[in-house]
Amino acid sequence: MTPTDIAVIALSVAGIFFAIVAAVGVLRLPDLYTRAHAASKSDTLGAVLSLGAAALAFGAGVPTVKTVLLLVFMFLTNPTAAHAIARAAEDQDIEPWTTDEEGDA
Amino acid sequence: MSGLSPLVSDVLIAAAGAFATLAVVVLYRVARGPTMQDRVIAVNVIGSNTVVIIALLAAAFDEPGFLDVALIYALLNFLMSIAISKFTVERGEII
Amino acid sequence: MTTGPSGRILVPIGESVTLRKTVAYAVREARECAEAGEAATVHFVYPITGRVADPEEFDDPESLLDRVEVWAREDLGDEDGSAEVRIETAVRASDVYLFSPIDYARTLIDYAAENDLDRVIVDPEYTPAGSAPMVQPLEYELSRSDLTIEEAPVERKTRRARLVRGSDLAQFATVFGASYLFYLVIGGFAGTFDYVTGAFSAAVTAALLSQISLSEAPDSRTPLRALRALVYAPYLLWEIAKANVTIAYVVLHPRLPIDPGMVEFKAAVWDDVPVTTLANSITLTPGTLTVDVRKRRFYVHTLTTSAREDLLDGGLERAVRFVFYGRQATNIESPAERRADEEVTEE
Repeated sequence: MTPTDIAVIALSVAGIFFAIVAAVGVLRLPDLYTRAHAASKSDTLGAVLSLGAAALAFGAGVPTVKTVLLLVFMFLTNPTAAHAIARAAEDQDIEPWTTDEEGDA
Repeated sequence: MSGLSPLVSDVLIAAAGAFATLAVVVLYRVARGPTMQDRVIAVNVIGSNTVVIIALLAAAFDEPGFLDVALIYALLNFLMSIAISKFTVERGEII
Repeated sequence: MTTGPSGRILVPIGESVTLRKTVAYAVREARECAEAGEAATVHFVYPITGRVADPEEFDDPESLLDRVEVWAREDLGDEDGSAEVRIETAVRASDVYLFSPIDYARTLIDYAAENDLDRVIVDPEYTPAGSAPMVQPLEYELSRSDLTIEEAPVERKTRRARLVRGSDLAQFATVFGASYLFYLVIGGFAGTFDYVTGAFSAAVTAALLSQISLSEAPDSRTPLRALRALVYAPYLLWEIAKANVTIAYVVLHPRLPIDPGMVEFKAAVWDDVPVTTLANSITLTPGTLTVDVRKRRFYVHTLTTSAREDLLDGGLERAVRFVFYGRQATNIESPAERRADEEVTEE
């Protein structure tokens, strides 16, 4: 096993871990805004780590550049999308869930 | 070009499988809702998982052509979130 | 020393489209005087109207003056505040109702007398009393005193569309270059056919979108900002990594220890690009999600109490200011401190 192999495996495992966190967050968290947190961040990090693994696995060349482009693109668009959705929700006067009003979790 | 050891490509395929499983799990949120925005968030997560799956498979099978598919899919995924957020709001000013 | 323009300058300040350029002009003039060996100081004065301005629409005087001071220091290249040109800011006449150009002129003349200033540089778009034209009568009133009056020679933003401007070309070139590079990377630099079609597509894209995708042409500050952004990127990545671990802990914890809530604060960053950068950085840093931004007012949803505290400590905000305005701008107080100040003044 070369150091690159080890790095690829480590990045994949870390990526899967954060993707699991994102999925659990989307299922478990009590309301839309908190779910948007899980979707925008843990999922972005999971995706970025896995794409990093893919980029390393390709070795030097055009495919690596493409993968890095994809990575940067995900990094910019995922938070923007989450922000747009949260803002749409706020515009429709959906109230954020707070610890005061229990019951609707 | 394909200097991947069998172990690494197995790991990449396994990772793609894990992402696919998670996408299926997140489908529960799409079905459950309760609001439109919840569904959009969940679909967005599934979409970015799909992009990652395609990229991982591209690396595992050494098929750089898949990456173009992934790029386009990422673009469409972003556009979908923005478009739905925009059209679910009456005033129509999201960005 | 009486020959040549004076270096003791007064600049009345208010929201205007040419404010940035007026500040730059005043600072340049003062610096020339300082280099000639004269004492040079620039006072930026905000005369307050009695009129209640819509807080959503207008900046409050202090933050506008903070911004002006940051600009001035940036133009001076003044990292530690000890340059040869002194910069002062002041809010004037908060207890008097200012109505006519005469009132404004009197306020400014008084201020100039108190601070031994003898030259006034007026922003040609200066309209302190709302939308009424103010500059000409104000200049007339001021010219009856023994102050030297001067209109800053700044280019007014025309609403007429002209065919080609220098900045348009720079914008076109930037968008063209970026699109062409993107096309070639996606195509894999494959042969003459790609180079020709790529150039054609990039030209069409740039012609259609250069005015939309870039609001202003890249200028001499852009490379420095890019360099500082390179310092910012690892800091942001580190923050993201650190906070993501916290979120993972919170989400996977059996009892789900969250305490969500909305936070509203006014960020000390100005202009579209820094505000967008800060908003996206806030969203990327786990525990905080920018829901809405109106002017400089941020509405942020926070997941936990610690995320809320980190946000109000303003580390990210300071870093964004560093990228866009330089090291000097990092000295402004954090949102929590500014908020405490506001509460004190409101009491």
